[in-house]
Order: sequence, then C-alpha cells, then structure tokens
Amino acid sequence: MGRPSPLGNRVRELREERGMTQAELGEAIGVTRQTVAAIEQNRYSPSLESAFRIARLFERGVEDVFYWSGS
Amino acid sequence: MAFREISAWIMVLALLLGGAFYARAVAELSAGLGELAPPALPLVVVYTILLVAVAVVGHIAASVVAYRDAGAPADERDRRIATRASHLSSYVLGVGVVTSLGVYLLSPRGDLLFYLVFASLMLSNLAEYALQILFYRRAV
Repeated sequence: MGRPSPLGNRVRELREERGMTQAELGEAIGVTRQTVAAIEQNRYSPSLESAFRIARLFERGVEDVFYWSGS
Repeated sequence: MAFREISAWIMVLALLLGGAFYARAVAELSAGLGELAPPALPLVVVYTILLVAVAVVGHIAASVVAYRDAGAPADERDRRIATRASHLSSYVLGVGVVTSLGVYLLSPRGDLLFYLVFASLMLSNLAEYALQILFYRRAV
C-alpha cells in the first residue's frame, strides 16, 4: 500500500536466519515490532542509526543489509 | 495494528462525535433564533468534555486490547509520522484561519468568524489524526 521505500533490505531474511522474532529485533534496536514489520515490507526507511544497529546486530556491513532499489 | 494507530482512530471518532454534536447544537439554536446563534461557552465546555470522555474511555479500552504496546514510548517511526501529520495539518488550520479572516473582511460578523475558526481547528485536528492513520498504513 502506498509508495514503497527506494531502500531494499534483507532484514527479514537475516532475522529469520537467526531465529529472531520481529519483537525481539525491535527490542534489540529500540523500535517497536510494527516498525520492524514496516522496515521488512519496505514501508519505512529506518534512520541511519537504526540501520547501523541492525547491521551490527547481524554482524554485517550496512550495505550487506540495505541496498538501493529505486531508480 | 500499532497502539498509536488505534489511538489515532479513537481521536478521529472522538472528533467526529464532538464535531457532530457541536454542529447540531449550533444548528438547533440558530433555527430557534432565526439567525446564527452567538457562540456559547457552555456548548464549548460540553464539546470539550465529550471529546475528553470519548478519548479517555477509548484509550482505556485500547490499552486493555493492546496492553503490550500501550506503555511503550514512541519510536523513530512514530515520531516521524507524528511530525509529518502535524506539519501537514497545520496547513489546514492556516488556510482555514486565513479564509475565515477573508470572510470577515467581506462580512464582518464576529459570531461567524468564531465558528469558522473553531471549525478550522476541528478540521485541522481531524486531518492530523487521519494523516497519522494513513502514514501508519503506507510507506513513510
């Protein structure tokens, strides 16, 4: 619904690899479960700080988790 | 559904109920007088009490349903949505007030000016919560 974010991400894939729930990931990076769901569905582009927190949690670089998918 | 989205729905409901009550009361008073009724403080007080009552009861019910999220502080997405909705709804208030002043210049009636500015305030609040709902459902 609505215009998707031009930022793509692998958050869902990486979260599921680690067996984490959206609520657990949200708690780990300081956002709500709904915000994690919105990030995974490309309905919300996280702040740079949250993007780094997610990447650090998954022990990846930011560019391994987030990528530009817009034109 | 996020607690804050439920909260926005409650406020939309409260504002619609309050606005309908106020508009109906003014229409009935005006019909009795045969002209636009002057603004009355008791009506504004009842409107405010109705608004607060619906909001409080609605939020208590929402807290019971979504008890996990109810006490959680706003996160970055909540804050971004609130800021955008507030920013856009401020235009509704601004346009409404400027239009009201224009109407006053053409027809200098203080009662009408009050109602138009009050309606602008109600519409601005309604727009703010409606936009929050929209932003929670689409990309932001």
